[in-house]
Amino acid sequence: MKALYFNGSGFEYFKIWIVNILLTIVTIGIYYPWAKVRNKRYLYANTYLEDRHFEYHATGKQLLLGHLIAMALLIAYIVTEHLFPAGAGIVIIIFFFIFPWVIWRSLMFNMHMTSFSHVRFSFAGSVGNAYVNYMLLPALFFIALYGPMVASAIAIHFFGNEGAMSSSTGGAIMLGVVFGLCLAFYFFALMKKRNACYAIGNYRYGQGVFSIDVETRGFAKILAKTIGLSFLVMLGTIFLMGIVIATVGYDEIWAMSGTMNDPELMQEAMFNEYAIAFIGVIYFILIVASFIIAAYTKARQRLYIFSNTTLDNDITFASTLKARSLAWVMISNLFLIILTLGLAFPWAKVRMIRLTLENTQVDSEQGFEHYISQQQQSQSAIGEQIGDTFDVDFGVGI
Amino acid sequence: MLIHGYYYQEGVASQSVATLCIHADDGANDNTVSIRTDADGAQVYVGQLSQINIGDRLGNTQRKLMLQNGYVFSTHDNDSIDALFKSSNANHFLSSVLHRIESHIGWVITALLVVLLTVFAFFKWGVPWASTQVAHALPEQANHFIADKTLEFLDEYFFEETQLSEEKTQAIKTHFFSQLVPLDDVEHSRKYQLHFRAWNQNGTSIPNAFALPSGDIILTDKFVELAQHQEEIDAVLLHEMGHVVHRHSLQMLIESTFVATVVVLATGDSSGLVDMGLGLGSLLVSSHYVREHELEADDYAFNQMLRAGINPIAFSNIMRRITDYTGNPEPADDEVLADNAEQETNVLIDYLSTHPSTQERIEKANKYIACYEKNLTVCL
Repeated sequence: MKALYFNGSGFEYFKIWIVNILLTIVTIGIYYPWAKVRNKRYLYANTYLEDRHFEYHATGKQLLLGHLIAMALLIAYIVTEHLFPAGAGIVIIIFFFIFPWVIWRSLMFNMHMTSFSHVRFSFAGSVGNAYVNYMLLPALFFIALYGPMVASAIAIHFFGNEGAMSSSTGGAIMLGVVFGLCLAFYFFALMKKRNACYAIGNYRYGQGVFSIDVETRGFAKILAKTIGLSFLVMLGTIFLMGIVIATVGYDEIWAMSGTMNDPELMQEAMFNEYAIAFIGVIYFILIVASFIIAAYTKARQRLYIFSNTTLDNDITFASTLKARSLAWVMISNLFLIILTLGLAFPWAKVRMIRLTLENTQVDSEQGFEHYISQQQQSQSAIGEQIGDTFDVDFGVGI
Repeated sequence: MLIHGYYYQEGVASQSVATLCIHADDGANDNTVSIRTDADGAQVYVGQLSQINIGDRLGNTQRKLMLQNGYVFSTHDNDSIDALFKSSNANHFLSSVLHRIESHIGWVITALLVVLLTVFAFFKWGVPWASTQVAHALPEQANHFIADKTLEFLDEYFFEETQLSEEKTQAIKTHFFSQLVPLDDVEHSRKYQLHFRAWNQNGTSIPNAFALPSGDIILTDKFVELAQHQEEIDAVLLHEMGHVVHRHSLQMLIESTFVATVVVLATGDSSGLVDMGLGLGSLLVSSHYVREHELEADDYAFNQMLRAGINPIAFSNIMRRITDYTGNPEPADDEVLADNAEQETNVLIDYLSTHPSTQERIEKANKYIACYEKNLTVCL
């Protein structure tokens, strides 16, 4: 087993990053795609396995059109959202139908633009499966989660009043909600499994085929443990908040809640020293709590997915990433970035990359020598840029 | 001269460790380049220096030389490549110009300063300026477009019918249309409307006044009750007219579009980590804009009061009575002015707040009161 490693440095990345921002500002944003390419190229080209490295091949010119379309969509969306919130709802529904396509294009383009040891990756997933994974399954999940609650609310509204509500109706509603929750749990695990299979199972490296062998049960276990951990973290959070409230004093909080009826007054009351310290501490506790949970899920899923993925039944993968170290880097990075008003971003990024790469193990008997890029059609980057601008999160993430 | 690196064909994973050798030909303009693999010393390539295409230099990453035969030689020895190609290759300059900026500490510091100053200036002056221009360039219908249904919404969820007597509201309306509206230079393009509503929440009636961009101004019953003189109502009405005249609602829409766009661009490659910091940042920036709008509306009101011969003290009086009524902990102006130390710690909090602190507004009022007492109609 050999681990990946990163050969660059935070300071060097900072220099490239800041010059990129400068050029983006000077060109009123036109340079943005080129800046993005240069940043990515630096990070990819410094990612090594032994003496072989990755490379990012997209050019700014390829990304420009998609970037302009995405910016136009973004501004249209923000303006709609302000002018008529109801319209924004429609826009979100339209996006809901477009996003699977965006994700699919994005995966194709990004894989095609990435090489390892001069051999290109590619993505062979179908657009139909993208719709199953990124539209149908999330929809089923939400219907199972909220459907019974909404249905029973409607039923009570139309048919029942307090007097007529028999205990059997109440029982049926409870049963429905519990059943919905179980179904939602299942759909979520199924979705995670299908997403991993769709993304990784369709990756190609040259003529090589990735295969992944994961089961819904594996993701269900991780989800169950995450929920358990969330309860523990929530208890801890409530306990810590209790301490904070006791320290700050009930009087202050009473004084604050007394102004709740007037938004303007509340705003004034919120911005006194105690309130800021109080909200700051609570905010801090919540961030730490959510990062711990996110890090746990990510580390566990990564471990499960990596150890069940192979390339041509020869090259195997393993993750040694610990939830603890991931949570630490996430939390410390956030504070690094906030305290430096964003200037430490390159260092934070490099820290995170180092951590993930050094905990990615690759093993092979035959090596990589025999891989050769396959002929591919040239790819349009429009989907990729839309996905990037709207921060679509779909990756399984290396 | 020898340069160590890798020799391979693009698209093929197999690579060999190789050494590139430059033969300085006497008297010739162009140098001959040969590449030998390190393993067996076999010569795999011979060509002219000028016919090689050089890839961009980027940090410490491997530099690619695209050779005539479709193969690639890549090396970490960027400095040797730059030294070698400096004189003899035309595309050398372009391939390393960005790197020279990025590796020169002076340039990097300049870039850093320019970026910081530009970001600051962009949010501090650029966005408000551009928003003002755009807001005033849009047709008047844009205002009605935003205001449409707002009053209906407020009526449904917040307001109740006014309890004020018909004579009282009629008197205020008559005064408003005869005395205040004519002060607005471009009154013809705007249709001011005055509305009276009761606003109760949790058993408390709330004193407040709002302006919708369409020119609809709403006064709550409690506000009218608290006002002791006609001049105090005038002061607040003029403040609300200031919001309408300056098209603050449209400006706010445009400003938040700017902020949201920049935030999305900045989060583009942040992997969700920076989002929270950015959220706080955009909250700060947006509340700064709202404060600026409030101060601008204050200025408008004070100037119009001087023109109409109303003592600006009316504005301070009504503001103080409202804050007293709502139990705001902020002290009255004379106490505040005596306590400068307290004031300094409040600067940050001030910045966070969307409404200018009462003391800031009272200071502004004092300036205008001084002008009023000197019988000036313009106060600088």
